[in-house]
Amino acid sequence: MVTFFAKRLGWSVFTVLLATVLVFSAIQSLPGDAATQLLGQNATPSAVATMRQQLGLDEPPVSRFFTWLGKALHGDFGNSLVGGGSVAGEVGSALVNTSLLAGITIVIGILLSLVLGLVAGLTRDRWPDISISTLALVGMSVPEFVVATVLVLLFSIYIPIFPAVVIAGQNASLADLLPSVWLPAGALICVLAAYIIRMMRTSVIDVMDSEFVRTAILKGNSTSRVVFKHLLPSAMLPTLNVIAMNIAWLVGGVVVVESIFNYPGIGTLMIRSVQTRDLPTILLITVMSALTYVVCNLLADFAAFLLNPRLRYPRNSK
Amino acid sequence: MDSRIEAPTGWLSRRTLLAGSALLLAPAVLAACGVSPSSSTTGAATGAARQGGTLRIARPPASKAETLDPASSLSAYEYLGALYNRLVKLSAKGELVPDLAESWTLSADAMSWTFVLRKGVTWHDGKPFTAQDVIFSIQHILDPATKSPQAGVLSPFVDGNSIKAPDATTVVFALKSPNAEFASLLTGYNCYIIPAGSAATIGASGIGTGPFKLKSFTAAGPGSIVRNPNYFGDKPALDGIEFSSIADTQARVNALLAGQVDLVAQTNLDFATAKTVSASSVATVTSVKNAQWYPVPMLNTSPEFKDPDIRRAFAHAYNPDEVFKLAVQGNGTVAHNNPVPPTEAYYLDYGLGYDPDKSKSLLKAKGFDHFDVPIYTSSYDPVLSPLALALQSSMKAANINLAVTNSPADSYFTDVWMKKPLMTTYWYTGRPIDQLLNQIFRTGSSYNETAYSNATFDQTLDAARATVDAAKRKTLYQDAQKILIDDGGSLTPFFSDRITGLSKQVVNYSEHGFEFDYINIGLRA
Repeated sequence: MVTFFAKRLGWSVFTVLLATVLVFSAIQSLPGDAATQLLGQNATPSAVATMRQQLGLDEPPVSRFFTWLGKALHGDFGNSLVGGGSVAGEVGSALVNTSLLAGITIVIGILLSLVLGLVAGLTRDRWPDISISTLALVGMSVPEFVVATVLVLLFSIYIPIFPAVVIAGQNASLADLLPSVWLPAGALICVLAAYIIRMMRTSVIDVMDSEFVRTAILKGNSTSRVVFKHLLPSAMLPTLNVIAMNIAWLVGGVVVVESIFNYPGIGTLMIRSVQTRDLPTILLITVMSALTYVVCNLLADFAAFLLNPRLRYPRNSK
Repeated sequence: MDSRIEAPTGWLSRRTLLAGSALLLAPAVLAACGVSPSSSTTGAATGAARQGGTLRIARPPASKAETLDPASSLSAYEYLGALYNRLVKLSAKGELVPDLAESWTLSADAMSWTFVLRKGVTWHDGKPFTAQDVIFSIQHILDPATKSPQAGVLSPFVDGNSIKAPDATTVVFALKSPNAEFASLLTGYNCYIIPAGSAATIGASGIGTGPFKLKSFTAAGPGSIVRNPNYFGDKPALDGIEFSSIADTQARVNALLAGQVDLVAQTNLDFATAKTVSASSVATVTSVKNAQWYPVPMLNTSPEFKDPDIRRAFAHAYNPDEVFKLAVQGNGTVAHNNPVPPTEAYYLDYGLGYDPDKSKSLLKAKGFDHFDVPIYTSSYDPVLSPLALALQSSMKAANINLAVTNSPADSYFTDVWMKKPLMTTYWYTGRPIDQLLNQIFRTGSSYNETAYSNATFDQTLDAARATVDAAKRKTLYQDAQKILIDDGGSLTPFFSDRITGLSKQVVNYSEHGFEFDYINIGLRA
């Protein structure tokens, strides 16, 4: 088990590093840099040259990457090329805001989809299953920006219960964000839940067909006992990975949704940073996103380890 | 991801559902938007404004580097006119009117300008406004460290030492070369006057002489301004203005429709969005007449367009009325290739009109049966691509084949502008005519997007600048327009109105060029 996790940890570090290299080269290959983006229509050649020098963009890319990496390993992620402030502080506060959104989405989304997936699996091919599965399929098929737009139309323009955008932007306090977080969370839940519901439904059906559940039913156990004692732990197992992947997806998936709601999170910051080619900010966001993916996967593996005795006691240990 | 996630359900595949949901959603979204084909653009409401109230404006943020320093190219534009004043400003008719300067005189050789300043004006921090502040502000624009876009406009005439203050309310500009239109160059939105010595602090402090005082400001974030009780001019109707920065255009419009903001600034709504907004119960649209100039620069240094006859062939090749209708649904004014807006005081009503036969014969004389060239466009502005497509279809009759080429908005002004032979672009109108012609068409100017170079044109502009007699000067500026147009220097199909979204509660909204009326705008009584 220790070697298994040591190996996984090693690969995780490699994955994060690889992500930063890829993103750095991708930004390098994009047309324009922070200097040209900042100057826009005022980008006369001499103005661009002066600004590149000021921003340190006149150094070769490879040496800039290693300078960044060296400092980053010491926890110094540098200053924004555009705003001049500390990147860590800016990304940190955006990450806190996104965590609020992601947290609400995850808690409501996972509970909702586990329950709905269970109901659908237990009522296979009857009306509750058909309606839940249809809705889930709609949720998967309709892109989140459409869901978001429809939610805005319904709940902030027609029935004005929720604000359409976060007016305070990046300075928003928790009090500003709390009323605004529900519509973006709703849009994300629609997409997130769809995948988990379908996975949960499939595995509930699989487990229901298995012999040990049939035995449990034949032994005369109550339905609730069969469901909670026998069915759920086994049915949860394959769903865990889907949940982990979806939580990690949230960090990227929020980009579009945050932008529609002007929500001051990591997605909005990422769009703005890519537009202005603010490399230090983009790199830190990359590190954070890659870390989220890696940690979520590690946790899912670990949870699977705990839930699944076959993994804990491998028959032929290598 | 687990492969079983895509397990077929047997009775409904993802693809059929996708198609089905799209069909189901389309009418629902349309109905929800309340789109009706009958609505049309309406003007801004006028009438009595309630005294007081706070206006909420949503603005597109420039970037995290934006600043309240008016001289900077990254200035937060919406704040400037409320916080600061210039020496002079432009009226809607394109005439100079007093702002911080009460009056001004020009020497007979057009080499010296004397401005008499308003007395008793104070800065927001209570200090008195003097001639030293004016000198400092102009020096700040000219300082290379400021990187002001206006520096290149002013530097041929003044340097840091050529401005003197004989007393506290008089400023004298001794010019390096004559310019009878020099004062008009001081109406630019970079030329707001800031307190002496404030170069390092003005970006955050926003201390001006204007009708509103800064309460808070965050780059690319929210901010607010409140009425300045000591303002020298008419008192503003509003108590204050709250600004929010919303990067996404759709989000800005959503905020307006949901009643979270009252005005969407510096956003040209596309046709479909304008319909949605005007059909809403809380918001409406209004248009700022001829606010945007849509030229199609032909790069004179390119092999395609170095010949003036080819450029003239292009100017005659399209039907301006048709292009105007197709690209901007008739919101604006047809230009007939004159880059000077018709509202400009020295405007010459002259242009090259639609004549496909003439176009064909000009091309034939140069040995072309047909002429093929790519036209570059981008999503940078909603009108650019419709304009390129409209030109493409209209020019076919003249045997000109334009290949419409879409280019990424991010690098449009670095990789396409001034580099490709033919492209669509736009400018805000509001430049005084001397600045417009010299900055965009004079030989060697850094914003000369067509690389146009014509010695006669340059000399005519110089002659105009040196002419103190207003009527004669007007004739010379009009001569320059004619030279430019006849030489195929400009391909300008139209000026477009900017469609602005605002709440039905807003009255007396008025904007022209780079002037926004912060005094009369208010909320419905």
